[in-house]
Amino acid sequence: MSSVQEQPVQVVFTGTRAELAGMLLRGYALLIPTIGLYRFWLATWKRRFYWANTEIDGDPLEYTGNAIQLLLGFLMALAVFVPLYGLFFYLSTQSSEAAIAGYSAVAVLLWFLMGYAIYRARDFRLSRTLWRGIRCDQGGSAWGYALRRFFWSLLVLVTAGLAYPFMAANLWAYRYRHSWYGDRQFGFVGSWKQLARPFYLAYVVIAIVGAVGLGAGSAMGGLPTGGVPTVEGVVVMVVAAALIGLMMLYYRSREISRMFSAVRLGQAALTVTVRARGLLGQYLLFGLALAGSYIVLAIGGLIVLGSLASGAFVGGEFDPQLFMQALQDSMIVLLAIVFGYLLLLGAFSLMVELFLGLGFWKLVARGATITGLDSLRTVRARGEDTTLAGEGLADALNVGAY
Amino acid sequence: MSISGRFHDGLVAQVHAVGLDYEHAGSAGTLVIRAEDRTELARWPAADLFAVHGRKNELRLGANGQPAGARVVVKGSADVGRVLATLPVLHEKRRQQTGREVRLAVTATVALAAVIGAYLYGVPLLASRIVGLVPPAWEQRLGETVAQQMEASLSESGGLQVCDADPDSLANRAIARFGAAALEGTGSPFDLDIKVVKSDIPNAFALPGGQVFFFSALLEQAESQDEFAGVLAHEVGHVAHRHGMEQLISTAGTGALIGFILGDMTGISVAAGLGATIIDGRFSRDAERQADAFAARTAESMDFNPAGLADLINRVGADDEFARALALLSTHPLTDDRKAALEILSRQRPTGLEPPFTAAEWAAIRSMCGEPAVTAPARTKSK
Repeated sequence: MSSVQEQPVQVVFTGTRAELAGMLLRGYALLIPTIGLYRFWLATWKRRFYWANTEIDGDPLEYTGNAIQLLLGFLMALAVFVPLYGLFFYLSTQSSEAAIAGYSAVAVLLWFLMGYAIYRARDFRLSRTLWRGIRCDQGGSAWGYALRRFFWSLLVLVTAGLAYPFMAANLWAYRYRHSWYGDRQFGFVGSWKQLARPFYLAYVVIAIVGAVGLGAGSAMGGLPTGGVPTVEGVVVMVVAAALIGLMMLYYRSREISRMFSAVRLGQAALTVTVRARGLLGQYLLFGLALAGSYIVLAIGGLIVLGSLASGAFVGGEFDPQLFMQALQDSMIVLLAIVFGYLLLLGAFSLMVELFLGLGFWKLVARGATITGLDSLRTVRARGEDTTLAGEGLADALNVGAY
Repeated sequence: MSISGRFHDGLVAQVHAVGLDYEHAGSAGTLVIRAEDRTELARWPAADLFAVHGRKNELRLGANGQPAGARVVVKGSADVGRVLATLPVLHEKRRQQTGREVRLAVTATVALAAVIGAYLYGVPLLASRIVGLVPPAWEQRLGETVAQQMEASLSESGGLQVCDADPDSLANRAIARFGAAALEGTGSPFDLDIKVVKSDIPNAFALPGGQVFFFSALLEQAESQDEFAGVLAHEVGHVAHRHGMEQLISTAGTGALIGFILGDMTGISVAAGLGATIIDGRFSRDAERQADAFAARTAESMDFNPAGLADLINRVGADDEFARALALLSTHPLTDDRKAALEILSRQRPTGLEPPFTAAEWAAIRSMCGEPAVTAPARTKSK
């Protein structure tokens, strides 16, 4: 192999928003006749899109999982949830103190299980990721990860968040040091030191801005115990909240950049640069798109209602009495409510996926470069991962992303 | 002319720029994969080939019997078109795969629809069976807990102040006698505990375990024995049918089912709430109708018109247009419908029965929470 310094290779993303939008709209439409079961297929199609359009050195990733595995995983997760449901029911019939203690115990258990679910879901996705004919995989123990995450989060709670950089670096390291590409193990060279400066900076600024904003805002009458809040008070608090949001984006961009950039695979090294303004741009775009889609839906809704209950809109005036009379038939009203709600929900998740999900993936992919890729040409495949079903718990606990 | 593509052998993370050729050998064909220097890298029988999902204008082929990750990748719509035209087996396999998945999705959907259907029609039956298994002592404790919670939440406005604390007063004895008579013969494991309490809210309800609360505001609005006895008999009906417990069980079941449909077992989304409201509302309306029917049966042994309960409900809160429009979300049937149903049920009431309360008792009940603002009109015979 040549000793010439290799050119870093830029990761390329080739997918378009329109393509994803078409797939999602079709998927949402199919969710209705399948009573929600199509979600497993939709998740699979989505991943195929993200994976297949992420190209490293001329070769895209491939997602080899299928919907049936997700469906089976979900059914297995039910085995955990049915007893939990029974427990919930039993607790709800107990005296208030016992019920509160019981609910807290269940909440803690769920928080613990979430760590397990996150790790298992990552295992499922990695073991179904193929690049250049070689599969990735994840070792380690999901229970071990869950315990680690659980005790770290307790420490973070006790220290009012100050321990967070240690937890983040530790968990990133655990995840990557147990990841494999074929027979080659990933490495992780990051440490809490890389997170400390941006984290504590953001922490102090947020604390100060939060205290000043809340103090000044309520002094100016932004949080009255009764009556109308004053404009100045509200403005001060909104500005403070916006500043806090900016600081959070700043920290998030630093954590993503520095932790991803600490990922190694033998001699190959990943570098990711994500800027806070990139993240901010995504959220602004998302806000605009969401507002736009809701305006369109509102106009559409008015037209539909106008045609259903045209009498109520006579002469440009709205008559609620007439309107309600027009909606006498419960079935139509119910359908209208359900359909309208589904449309709002659909528009929301569509915009989340198109602008936050895809936006974030593109931001990371396009900000990523890899050096030392040639060293990977000697990686060999390992045996098959025979786990059939996965991720069910993650689905049930709502912790899945992508 | 061979088609150019990329080849991964699935063993080592190498990329080979390759030329693809197709050899016919009788009916069976073979895909031959050659490196740029024409050395043969692999031969894949056409029958073993399958296409995996890739991005647009890209065809990714794998083959059974080869390493799982082995792939041939062809790019560009022209080349992809040529390969697909040469290998109709790919279309066939894709169609089979899609067919399998569609069949599975349809089967799963039908199964889920069957579960939902069975739930909607089975739970009212099932819940009453399950309720039969719940020990009465447990249900009683539960009712006490609920009463305590209610009292605690109302503590600012003085809690649930009982109107007439003396259980042996004329009014309380009359009410207890009425309740016991109504419950007689139902085999209910509970002792009724009917309390008339001070409250500005016109309401009456039954808790699990036999406690019934009748709020003073509702009593004040009652214009006749018919109305008071009707509502009281209705609440005793809830106790007799153990509706409180039934509702708890079916609510838990509904939550689990909706969680399953939405995949959100935490059940915190609005969709879960709305779905549960529609289904639970249906069960609750059934329970109200059952309790109404119970009141009508009670009226077959005592002389009061159970339709009075609908009059009283109508007086404290007539259904407005909004309630009518949202009837499917409501926990109670529309009052007009209830009145009509009760009138049909009470048509064949035997005559010559004793009224539930004597004039003195009814007067005592009327005044047990302090003198009512308007003196009660003389009891009218059923309207």
